[in-house]
Amino acid sequence: MPQDQFLLMLALQRLTLTNFKNYASQSLEFSPRLNCLAGNNGMGKTNLLDAIYYLCMTKSHFNLPDTAIIRHNEGFLRLEGHFLRQEKKEKIVAKIQARKLKELERNGVAYEKLSEHIGLLPVVFIGPDDNALITEGSEDRRRFLDNTLCQVDQQYMNELILYNKVLQQRNALLKSLADNPSADSSLLDIYDDQLIDPAIYIVEQRVTFLQRFSAIFQSMHHYITQRQEEVSLVYQSQLLENDLGTLLAQNRQRDLYLQRTSAGIHKDDLVFNLGEHALKKFGSQGQLKSFLLALKLAQYEMLRQHKGLHPILLLDDLFDKLDEQRVTHLLKLLSEGEFGQIFITDTHQTRTELIAKQLGVEYQQFVVKDGVIG
Amino acid sequence: MNFSSKLLEEAVNAFASLPGIGKKTALRLVLHLCKGELENSETFANAILNMRRGIKSCSKCHNLSDEEVCVICRDQRREQGVICVVESIRDVMAIEDTGQFRGVYHVLGGVISPLEGVGPGELNIDSLVQRIQTGEVREIIMAISPTIEGETTIFFISKKLRDLPVQISTIARGVSFGGELEYADELTLGRSITARVPYRNVD
Repeated sequence: MPQDQFLLMLALQRLTLTNFKNYASQSLEFSPRLNCLAGNNGMGKTNLLDAIYYLCMTKSHFNLPDTAIIRHNEGFLRLEGHFLRQEKKEKIVAKIQARKLKELERNGVAYEKLSEHIGLLPVVFIGPDDNALITEGSEDRRRFLDNTLCQVDQQYMNELILYNKVLQQRNALLKSLADNPSADSSLLDIYDDQLIDPAIYIVEQRVTFLQRFSAIFQSMHHYITQRQEEVSLVYQSQLLENDLGTLLAQNRQRDLYLQRTSAGIHKDDLVFNLGEHALKKFGSQGQLKSFLLALKLAQYEMLRQHKGLHPILLLDDLFDKLDEQRVTHLLKLLSEGEFGQIFITDTHQTRTELIAKQLGVEYQQFVVKDGVIG
Repeated sequence: MNFSSKLLEEAVNAFASLPGIGKKTALRLVLHLCKGELENSETFANAILNMRRGIKSCSKCHNLSDEEVCVICRDQRREQGVICVVESIRDVMAIEDTGQFRGVYHVLGGVISPLEGVGPGELNIDSLVQRIQTGEVREIIMAISPTIEGETTIFFISKKLRDLPVQISTIARGVSFGGELEYADELTLGRSITARVPYRNVD
């Protein structure tokens, strides 16, 4: 194990939920290693993982608006997490009230910008909806990329926020120009210029990041499948061949017609390949699963290396979607000690217990029933 | 809220239509006026009416004014060749309070933000360009908030003025006076380092 073990330590010790999704009021103490949440479907196991994710990333893992995660018929929600990070206590509180700005506090002090919190508590969520990374459009893959990069690079996040705000203004201008063609279109030049600098930084970071990430991803994949299948991630961006200024100029007429910006880093994609073929078209169900798991474990490893901290690992319904062989490999990986705190949900109580025993680590078992945890 | 009087209700609603004033505060203000002399209410109401009827926008700088041209623009002791460009009238007051500026102003009336429906045409940008084309303006100082919309506005105006012989500067951005470095956010501190200024020794 590298360095001092305490420096790598990140763990949620205590969590209090008030009016979060189907939880009315609940307080829990966790093990710093393995926590198993057992219970039937619809009881709130995943919601608990989402609460932990929320405290780390200031939003729900499922892209839900803040108003949608408040318990039905209630006016507010509150999450309080007591974390231990590199031997220091961190108390994080999230408060959401209907029709008010949400608040996030670290040790009693409210953040001025929520984005300042991202990266303090690295987290990886592995769940059934990861499938969207393969089946859905490029937006999900960009979000995966950005999610990881934002946790390791504050400047990346700032540049991304800047880019998106300018892009929004540019699109709004394109819309208003369509309504009123005689209006001043020279403002478009200004927005084009303002997009260029953040775009250059973001592309550079995506390229460098993916070089390192690919290597880790491949080794994870080989480990899980125990086979030497050739897998690769290919970064696609219009900006790799042309500079953004040229692209925006070329697409100016098209943009005016479409009323949105058709070139830029918001069109980037990540292509998943299996051998020489696209995974989406040619991968079997089993191959998709291994690919996704390797992707997420590589994200974990990347965060760990950058942060010098073991991220919190949230495993949702993992044992329902993976076959026994993959589970065994994953367990081996987990038990080899390169992981920190883990949360696992499962519908079978006995299975989770067995897993915990197999791992031979300290663990805590919780039974979730209708938003109440015993 | 239940009112015993229609007149009371109307007055409360009128006050509550103002920004930052809720129903309860409005009621307190109205009850205060009720208790006081009629004369006080008349003075109060007249002050509002007179202000609203008489107030003008300065034809040069768009600051609020009693006359066609405001007192700042009329003041011949002020440097007419230096224009400080600001978003709003409140910014004029803030800069005037510093006592550090002896030039004149130009109030834009906002910043460019197509998302909010504010394009360059909604702002007093053309009149600024005209002032610079016709007047003897040496320098314009952009005193605009360092937000993305502010940057866009500065960028837009400076492009419009590109071919005119006028020097464009922006107010300095960086660590606040009396502030401590360790509490400055990274972006501000980073910018302060990149845009550092030569140290002038006191003679």
